[in-house]
Amino acid sequence: MNTQRIETDVLVIGGGLGGCMAAMAAARRGARVTVMEKSHVDRSGAAGSGNDHFWHWNPEIHPGRGWTVEKMVRDISWDGPYGALSGGAIDQQLTEVVASESYARVKDLESIGVNFRFDKIYPWNLQYEAHPGENRFRIIPQFQSEWDTLNYEGRDIKPKLAAELRRLGATILNRYMATRILCHVGAASGAVGVNQRTGDAVVVVAPSVVLASGMDLSRLYRSPSGDWFNSQRPPMITGDGEAMALRAGAEVFIRPPWRTRSIGLQHFKGLYRSSGAATTSYPAGRIVNAEGDTIIEHPASREPMRVRREALERSVAEGKTPIYLDMTRAPEEEIAYAEWSYGHEGLCWVMLEAMRDLGVDFRKDRLELEVEETGRLMGGRLGVWISPETETSLPGLYAASPVQPAGEVSAPIPVVLGYRAGDRAAANAEGKTPSVDEAEIEAELHRIAAPLECTEGSDWREMNIALNDATEDLKRLFCGFNPPPAKDAVGKQGLQTVRERLATLRKTPIVAADPHELIRALEVLNLIEVADTITEAALDPRVTEPEAWFLGKRSSGATVFRSTPITYKYPKEVG
Amino acid sequence: MPPRIDAKTCTRCGRCVEVCPLDVLRMVDGAPAAVYAGECWHCGACAMECPSGALRVELPLHMHPVVRRVKP
Repeated sequence: MNTQRIETDVLVIGGGLGGCMAAMAAARRGARVTVMEKSHVDRSGAAGSGNDHFWHWNPEIHPGRGWTVEKMVRDISWDGPYGALSGGAIDQQLTEVVASESYARVKDLESIGVNFRFDKIYPWNLQYEAHPGENRFRIIPQFQSEWDTLNYEGRDIKPKLAAELRRLGATILNRYMATRILCHVGAASGAVGVNQRTGDAVVVVAPSVVLASGMDLSRLYRSPSGDWFNSQRPPMITGDGEAMALRAGAEVFIRPPWRTRSIGLQHFKGLYRSSGAATTSYPAGRIVNAEGDTIIEHPASREPMRVRREALERSVAEGKTPIYLDMTRAPEEEIAYAEWSYGHEGLCWVMLEAMRDLGVDFRKDRLELEVEETGRLMGGRLGVWISPETETSLPGLYAASPVQPAGEVSAPIPVVLGYRAGDRAAANAEGKTPSVDEAEIEAELHRIAAPLECTEGSDWREMNIALNDATEDLKRLFCGFNPPPAKDAVGKQGLQTVRERLATLRKTPIVAADPHELIRALEVLNLIEVADTITEAALDPRVTEPEAWFLGKRSSGATVFRSTPITYKYPKEVG
Repeated sequence: MPPRIDAKTCTRCGRCVEVCPLDVLRMVDGAPAAVYAGECWHCGACAMECPSGALRVELPLHMHPVVRRVKP
């Protein structure tokens, strides 16, 4: 393996929204920055082909409306449309950071040419007075009880961020998948990566490392669509950050598998990628049943989620399915606005293009939405445990994504936490020269080269299918078969069997014909490691303790778990 | 279905290959080709970046919207 060595002050792993914001912050502090990106920083990550909505707290608008950061955190935790979804299991300190700093980050994005303000706003936008001569934000209601989501022209947010990083002199390593966070004398000291095109390795030595590899475990579970790559979240986010954090001994938050307790509508039929299928249709869209009766007036309405769900459940119970998104009765100006919005919301742009090719038109056609039934089995997940300062338990390692829940997963979280992590990482790097463990580097280079050198074994697809068989069992055994048994009937023996199956997979040689397949193979190995940790956690009786975080940390080959109460700065108000 | 590349308008600049997030596209004999077509996310990055408009993303059958026409 050809290996290049780079020294830098701050290494950012992942060049999506979070990683770019981290790199920007660190470079502004004068640090030498290197970004290691698995794809290409111009179009990578969940916002690679755009983002059209960004919730925020605006110090120039919201105080006058009686909407404070505290109210926003309470709304996200407890009272708001999406509050009930989190069940209170969010880190309010992080949510407060995101809310407080969201407007400053919007201004950063504006400074690099992302357009958030318009000379024309519409009757369905929040009406407010701007400074004389200043264009206004298009603000809509979406995730919270207040109007606080900015509709903006974010289709090119990633190329603009990438151009800014180049202007700031950051070193960008495109096509490099990070495989190991290096750790020496108790602190992060860089990372090893491998290139998907050339198979060359890179060793980046840095006193500060920011993990921003993204929030998903793509391909860990069987795809409901039968196509691993027909996913809402980016298919290149495959648990690399989670697995690397585990191997580096950083503490992680673990959520075991669960069963949904209510019905849902998420995406257009068949198109699992169409996140926001319903909400992005604001203000033109309404949800109708098979008889054309309106069951939800508009999907971004501020009715509590519970009310919307009850309406949906009634139609389903009465057999009035399918359920559709219907814009056919909306005025042209509203439909045009919704299409403008879709055009900037990443994957929806492709949907608009496909609709045009297929002769589908919002003005004439209702589009079927997938009804997600109650009681679906959801997979567990991990996130790196961070302080409000974005520090992990490993000195020198900061994280923006994946981390513990901070609210509805969307752009403001990685944007704000990424910037913070980059800033704190740069401060930490000042005056430090990291030392590396050469034996650790050698062992990692050997590990990642192995699939290319292996001649007999399983390829990534075979290994991935076997992994999915095990993880589907993990979900069923942990949540109970349908109908679910009492909680104390968790199938311990079954879960042990899952761990044995995963151990067998880990021992099975995996082959890669070329560097492209090498990346897929290393991804599967990461997913197996994550699956094993979730299964191990599922065997611990404390994992289901209410109002508690369940945390785990590797130490000398074993995982040590602990449970710690969730502390609320803004507890649920009774009565 | 992999992205469709119009060989007549493609200038073979390689920009689509450069940005493709899933590494689906590679240059083959000097022209972009969907070498790993089954791993396409259909994100549209290639089409957005193509300077000559030679590239179109087409959704595979299982991703086509299911519709009910209510107006002529």
